[in-house]
Amino acid sequence: MRKGSGKIWLLFMVCVVGIAAISIGIIYYNFISHRIYEDSTDHLEEIYGQVNRSFGAFADTNWGLLNSWSSRLTHESGWQDEEFAEFISGEQKNWGFTDFYFLSKDMTGMTLEGSEEAVNLEEAREQLMERGEPVMAGETLSGGQEVTVFAVPVQHGRYKDFDYDAIAICYTNADLAVSLNVDAFSGKGRCFVIHNDGRVLLSTQEGGNVFENYLVYLQAVSDLDEEQIAQIQSDWKNGSAGLLQCEIGGSSHFILYQPVGYQDYFLLSAVPQSAVSSGFLSIQKATMNMLLVIFLLLGAAMTAMFFLRSYRQSRKSRMELQYRERMFDVLSNSVDDIFIMLNSEDQHVDYISPNIERLLGLSVGEVRENIKTLEKCAIGHDIIISKEELDGIALNGNRDWEYEYMHQTTGERRFYRMTAYRMSIQDVMKYIVVLSDRTLEKRMNQQLQEALTAARSANEAKSNFLSNMSHDIRTPMNAIVGFSVLLEKDADDADKVREYTRKITASSHHLLSLINDVLDMSKIESGKTSLNVDRFSLPELLEELNIILMPQAKAKGQDFRIHTQGAPPEQIIGDKLRLNQILINLLSNAIKYTQEGGQIEFTVCELPKAAPQFVKLRFVVKDNGIGISKEFQEHIFAPFSREISSVTNKIQGTGLGMAITKNLVDLMGGIIQVESTPGEGSTFTVELSFAIPEQADEELWYSQKVTRVLVADDEEEICLDVKEMMRDTGVEVSYVTDGASAVGMAVEAHERGEDYHVILLDWKMPGMNGVETARQIREKVGGHIPILVLTSYDWSEIETEARQAGINAFMPKPFFASTFWQTIRPMFYEYTEPQDDHTETAEGVMKGRRFLVAEDNELNAEILTEMLIIEGAQSELAVNGQQALEMFEKSEPGYYDMILMDVQMPVMNGYEATRRIRACRHPKAASIPIAAMTANTFAEDVRDAMDAGMDGHLAKPIDMDAVRQLVGRLLSQADQNGSELAAAERGNNG
Amino acid sequence: MKKRYLSILLMIVLIFSLTACSGGTGGGPDAVTLTIMGKKTDLAKNYMTRIFDQYEKTTGNRLEIIAYEDSEYEAAAADKFAKGELPDIFMHFNNADLNLFHAADNFLYLNDEEWVGDLTDSARAYCEDQDGNLLGLPFWESSVSGCYYNKTILDSLGLKPAATQAEFDMLCQALAEAGYTPICWPADGCSWMMQFGLDPVFADDPDMLDKINRNEITYADIPEVRDMVQWISDAAEKGWFGADYMETGWAEISPVMGSGEAVMTFIWDTWFYTDFEAGNKYGVDDFALMPVFMNTIDTGTYEGGNLNMMMVNKNGKQVDAARDFLSFCATAENYNAAFDGISTVSCFKGQTTNIQSDMVTDASASIAANIRVSTAASKIIGYSADDVAAAFRDMFLKKINVSGCIRRMDEKRIAIAESQGAEGFAG
Repeated sequence: MRKGSGKIWLLFMVCVVGIAAISIGIIYYNFISHRIYEDSTDHLEEIYGQVNRSFGAFADTNWGLLNSWSSRLTHESGWQDEEFAEFISGEQKNWGFTDFYFLSKDMTGMTLEGSEEAVNLEEAREQLMERGEPVMAGETLSGGQEVTVFAVPVQHGRYKDFDYDAIAICYTNADLAVSLNVDAFSGKGRCFVIHNDGRVLLSTQEGGNVFENYLVYLQAVSDLDEEQIAQIQSDWKNGSAGLLQCEIGGSSHFILYQPVGYQDYFLLSAVPQSAVSSGFLSIQKATMNMLLVIFLLLGAAMTAMFFLRSYRQSRKSRMELQYRERMFDVLSNSVDDIFIMLNSEDQHVDYISPNIERLLGLSVGEVRENIKTLEKCAIGHDIIISKEELDGIALNGNRDWEYEYMHQTTGERRFYRMTAYRMSIQDVMKYIVVLSDRTLEKRMNQQLQEALTAARSANEAKSNFLSNMSHDIRTPMNAIVGFSVLLEKDADDADKVREYTRKITASSHHLLSLINDVLDMSKIESGKTSLNVDRFSLPELLEELNIILMPQAKAKGQDFRIHTQGAPPEQIIGDKLRLNQILINLLSNAIKYTQEGGQIEFTVCELPKAAPQFVKLRFVVKDNGIGISKEFQEHIFAPFSREISSVTNKIQGTGLGMAITKNLVDLMGGIIQVESTPGEGSTFTVELSFAIPEQADEELWYSQKVTRVLVADDEEEICLDVKEMMRDTGVEVSYVTDGASAVGMAVEAHERGEDYHVILLDWKMPGMNGVETARQIREKVGGHIPILVLTSYDWSEIETEARQAGINAFMPKPFFASTFWQTIRPMFYEYTEPQDDHTETAEGVMKGRRFLVAEDNELNAEILTEMLIIEGAQSELAVNGQQALEMFEKSEPGYYDMILMDVQMPVMNGYEATRRIRACRHPKAASIPIAAMTANTFAEDVRDAMDAGMDGHLAKPIDMDAVRQLVGRLLSQADQNGSELAAAERGNNG
Repeated sequence: MKKRYLSILLMIVLIFSLTACSGGTGGGPDAVTLTIMGKKTDLAKNYMTRIFDQYEKTTGNRLEIIAYEDSEYEAAAADKFAKGELPDIFMHFNNADLNLFHAADNFLYLNDEEWVGDLTDSARAYCEDQDGNLLGLPFWESSVSGCYYNKTILDSLGLKPAATQAEFDMLCQALAEAGYTPICWPADGCSWMMQFGLDPVFADDPDMLDKINRNEITYADIPEVRDMVQWISDAAEKGWFGADYMETGWAEISPVMGSGEAVMTFIWDTWFYTDFEAGNKYGVDDFALMPVFMNTIDTGTYEGGNLNMMMVNKNGKQVDAARDFLSFCATAENYNAAFDGISTVSCFKGQTTNIQSDMVTDASASIAANIRVSTAASKIIGYSADDVAAAFRDMFLKKINVSGCIRRMDEKRIAIAESQGAEGFAG
């Protein structure tokens, strides 16, 4: 309200000042013009009054002269004609007149020289001759010369026989013009002596005169009207002076006329106003210009103030607008809502928030240019902003739409809710369209839906699991319980007892594996599984796999082969236990789901290295078994999933193996893939990365003088593998693909004196097998060359025959340089003739030994005690760790051979007890073997046991084979350590 | 009284001459045949055929007319002269082209012929060579070129004709103030006006004419030439030629003058009888004559007519007969009979039967005082009215200034003179 008043007030003031300025200017201009006119006319009248007076004086002078000369013409003067002529000639020189005439009454003139000239004088004639008055008249002489004649009557006389009554002198008009010319107005004025009818007697203009009658000229040329002309004529008739202003030739002129005072002559001047008033006009012009400049400056100042004020206000508004826009831009950039303002008439985009570029990949410019550009982002909708729909929104109402949009640069799809508001802004109908990103909400809903579905699935899975578990647990349990009942019933029938016991044992093992898998899976899924990373030998791992799985495959008559491709490093750093678990799962499944006589192929190959410190290995388990359906492949790694078929139903499984495998692979940062065709077989591929330790000494082989090796294998690929594996050792590897050639090569080399340092033979070669080849080489070359058999089969059945044939050692496939070196090293340190290898079996390792058993569970303690008794061992029981510690501390050194320690026990657990035992002062505290015997079977449990100072780990339920193996190893080590210690003590004593 | 005695004397001479001629030739065995060569259109003029017929009838002699097309005449005549096949009587204007025929060598000077005294001053002057020798008998229709003005308009404005250059300027200014175009200046193709201004410069100073024809001076060396060009330039600037003078040509002069749009123009009297068509307002009687003022001479000038002369081949076999033919033509009875009713300015003082315009008659005193022989166009070697007009056009178009205009006039003139091999001009 105040702003509006201010503007009106300002406008009012500007108008007032403007009107005042214009009024003042007009008044001043009129005043000045009037003053100029008065001053100009005064100036004009003064100048031409002076001219008029001069002309009058000139006429008077001439008439005075003529009168004075007339006295010399009288008889009384006594002057003769010649004397008078001489006198007048002298006067002519003095006064400058052109000619002197004696005039007769008939207006004939005679010069002093006596020549006649017609001097008409026209109307002046009567005045001169009749009234005896001096006259002035214009004449055109016979030569065409225009003159002005001054004449006075004189007493009748005679000159040279010429009768005269008047005398006259004349001046050429040109001469008079020179004498009367007015230079006051830069020569721009015209000045005439005219008759009272306008006829021009003479002109003051230099050079002549072309005006015959100036009144006629004025009438024809000027803008004077008839009344004005009549006024002039009246003035002239009355002998009145006058002054007027008129236009001649487009410019303003002053016309001034004054009676000369003689006869009816007037002095008329016509002067351009610009010439008369030039000085005044220049002052007026300068003044007006100055006023104009002042007013202009004032106006400019006011205008500038006005515009400055407007500009400031505009700038302030603009800045506020920019500030708001900027703030809105910033705000909109920080939110995921797009704001658009549209004009309702033409849907012109007045505003669009800049975040549209970030959110939809559209530039502000292109959308501003055409709002329809927005529609190309909408998926599945050609029109999203319809004028009809927008117009359908009530004033101050809104309407929502929801579309999925695709980001134009990233291709990302997002959901937006488009809300259009219709409103009037400053009487202009506008639409404000807000696109709100609802993707998160949408996805959250989806996720909730998925979670709900998942929860339902999980619940279903749980139900299935429980159902499965119920079934899977009850099945072996049913067998155990059932056969236990039958066992009791048929206790006297030894065959049935053995049969029932075997079945109970089998069912127990199945139940145990089921429990192990469930627990393992549970632990993995709970995120409690960690990796135990350490350096290990890849060849050893493969050998162990071969040892474990070969018997199973062999049992089904399957061809189980292990290959390597490339040169995978022998030493790698990783979790051997988990890798073993993965591979055993895959391989045991392959064996399990491959028919008898089928083929299982296990390949390890090195993939290109991404970094020198790491190796990426691909493990491929390929079989030609029953295969996996496409449908099942999709969720093969899901827990408790088992393909249902007539075949698989006959195979026991928990349905957790592949899930555990997948989780372990994920845990190790690898990938697992499966390709399978039902009825043709399956291929599982695992890719894992491992760190690799520093390389072994390549000079090793040379230093041991092993530089030439002969390989014989009917599979050339194996030969090439060996050659590849030995590439960096500096050892020259020659190969043949049959036994006879191997013999020939060995003999040939021997004859050259360049025996091979080692000969590697495949066992099963067509024609001559490995054993026969070795025998012939020994016969022809001798026994000094180590001969090894390379086989992927169990060589135990041919071992005796092979050693007799001269074979020094066996090597498992696949070939590894390190294994090779380990095998042949003793031969080069101290070569000995091959002899039967005697290894102590696990049977009887516990016989005669005394065990301290720490077990809080009475039943378990009883079972263990009984089992130990069966093995021929003694045992003493401690019911907790504390008691076990005390019993050990109190025992004589060597009283106990070993401690079997439960972990979870009251009073003191097994770990603490072990740490205390190791820390106690008992002489055998550090050396007595302690093995954990616990239901805590995870890798972490094993590590914890070792950390506590235990030497081994046995999982419950007790597997006596495992107990025998571990106890045998530990007791053997303890015995050896004890011997060395005794020897050392003996040395010290001796 | 004197005129009457002179007339009686001439009649006696004529009778004697005719008697002598008739007795001498009479169509008898002594009759001669004179060859006379000229342009076809010139020879076909009715006053020419009249005099030829009259001659043959009176003398019994025969005239063999050798006529050429106008455009071929100069070349044909030159060829005849080169071959020595000169006619007894050769017709040509006394202009610069006559130099091609070496008048001193081929034509008889007629200074002492009896009829010379009967020639008007301007006619005689036109027919003289630079040394004052009369080259031929002017037997031609003539006119007076000057400033023809609309006296009716001047009277209506209370103005009178100018007698000086200053007055002429005043008159132009007064007419301009009155809203008239003071001068009709047909700049488009009309080329004769400038020679009027130049005539007094060279006619009044034969020495200057000799110098420029000997290439000793140029227009640029002559102050009056610059005065004239400057005045014309100024007049155009002041609007004295009107607004459309660049588009005004020969055909527009009549309507412009007849309508009173323009008040004055520089033309010749016979134009009013041959080309002027009375407009809505003004007819021939509304016009009067005053001198041309182009700032080269204060009192103005008139240009006398360009006259076709009959010259006698002094190397021919019938020189006397040819002289007699010229005398026959110069006889008052014969020329009055020939020019009876012809509109022309008189070449002979005794010429009475021709029709002379009132304009010329009224201005006779002024004409007598200010007329000059057509000098610039006729006597300046290499003068081309078209070239001069072209130079002025470029000046009017501001392509060149006053100095440039003069330089252009000189260049064109000298180029023509050189092409003609005129003495003093290189090449």
